Amino acid sequence: MVDKKFTGHLKGRVAVVAGGCGGIGQAICRRFVNEGAHVIAADVAPMPEALQSSAQYFNHDVTREQSAQELMAFVEQQFGHLDVLVNAAGIEIEKTIEETTLDEWQRIFAINVTGTFLTSKYGVPLMRKKGAGSIINFGSYDGFIADPNLAAYCATKGAVHALTKAMACDYGKENIRVNAICPGFVATPMLESFFGDSGDIESLKQEVRDIHPLRRYGIPDDMANLVNWLAGDEARYASGALWVLDGGLTAQVQQMKL
Amino acid sequence: MQLSGKVALVTGGRKGIGAAIVERFVLEGAKVVTCGRGARPSDMAPNIDWVQADVSCTTQISKLKDHVATHYGGLDILVNNAGVQIEKTLVDTSDDDWDILMGANAKGVFNAIRSLLPIMASGGSIINMGSVSGSAADPGLALYNASKAFVHGLTRSVAVDHGPSIRCNAICPGWIMTAMADNAFAVANNPVAAKQDALVRHPAGRFGTPADIANMALWLASNESQFVTGQLFTVDGGLTASSPLNPSLF
Repeated sequence: MVDKKFTGHLKGRVAVVAGGCGGIGQAICRRFVNEGAHVIAADVAPMPEALQSSAQYFNHDVTREQSAQELMAFVEQQFGHLDVLVNAAGIEIEKTIEETTLDEWQRIFAINVTGTFLTSKYGVPLMRKKGAGSIINFGSYDGFIADPNLAAYCATKGAVHALTKAMACDYGKENIRVNAICPGFVATPMLESFFGDSGDIESLKQEVRDIHPLRRYGIPDDMANLVNWLAGDEARYASGALWVLDGGLTAQVQQMKL
Repeated sequence: MQLSGKVALVTGGRKGIGAAIVERFVLEGAKVVTCGRGARPSDMAPNIDWVQADVSCTTQISKLKDHVATHYGGLDILVNNAGVQIEKTLVDTSDDDWDILMGANAKGVFNAIRSLLPIMASGGSIINMGSVSGSAADPGLALYNASKAFVHGLTRSVAVDHGPSIRCNAICPGWIMTAMADNAFAVANNPVAAKQDALVRHPAGRFGTPADIANMALWLASNESQFVTGQLFTVDGGLTASSPLNPSLF
């Protein structure tokens, strides 16, 4: 039974969500399921129980080319084509460049940037088979402006923004649209890790909420709402764009406490 | 002496950023004309040419143009610096506020460029004063923010329509320590803490000075920037490169 809020606009569409078992990824999978899509959650993390009856799972390591090939071979065998690809796998490293080891640098680029590249590289041919498609990458407002101690993360998100535009240019003529969502603060395990576990976390969180024009930070469903729109036909003219979704945070100049 | 033999007009050169630009241009060898709504300031150096003119008034700007044309035969550099700030949200803003603020910040820039561009020499440089607030909002400064976005847009249009003979760029200052910024801290609940909080948000570790903006204005006025046009140059000590979160929180 379809909830009144859902229109079923993705009925019968085939959607792969890389990182589909993560904080934001789960919400996207759930929404796609509710809109009638066939959903494949592709992740190294295990399938959350809540999704087990409604979505398929594929163990996908976004950093490995063979994994992307196997994932898309599976999709082709099951459905023959792909309509929607969401590249939501990502990690964060809370360090300056001096503190960041080369291994850490390469790991975050492997997941956040190479992962987006590889999964898309093998997903595009399946969209071509259908003659249309929508790819949604995960950038960040940190791809435009920096937060302290997130140097490598900021760099990966800037790379995803540029890759998004490049892919949109290359595949637009085939009716494959490519966009990126640039979240601000979203309540996920990654955000909890960012806040840390020492000191007065609650007042820190309150201060962070207060700096947002909407006086809260986002929840995964806020992200899923926009991913859902970009995935569907309502967004047919949207491509190559970076969609900042941050409760107004970066609309402001820094807020001095006057 | 990067501006030897050049003629420059800087609007609003009585104090603050405008005065620093006037001073620097004079040091670099330019003949400098500046203007303001009041009479010539008593402490102004004698080699600076003061004309009483309100940029929002088309007639007065036209007279200013005649003055420049008659006494200098033309113009090389135009700096549209004159501007006002009104600390109100949109619903609190009156028609008079609109006339005062948009008159100076928007119509003033339009007036000055429309009037003076025709007497500018080929290779001339127009420098507008935008703001970081023209790209992202400061609270309670609705019309000011909007007026600076107007300046940013007009900068690009002038560059596109009047190249290659004239270049047009804008400077976007952040927090510059002028009387305006001092007043903001003075009314804070805790002025010392407020100032410390604001400093932490600047990767450069300090606020800007009018001279920092004059440095940028000089570069944009000089031949060093002869391939530069239609762009916005942020001079803010890194303020807007970082997110609005207070870095001292983490």
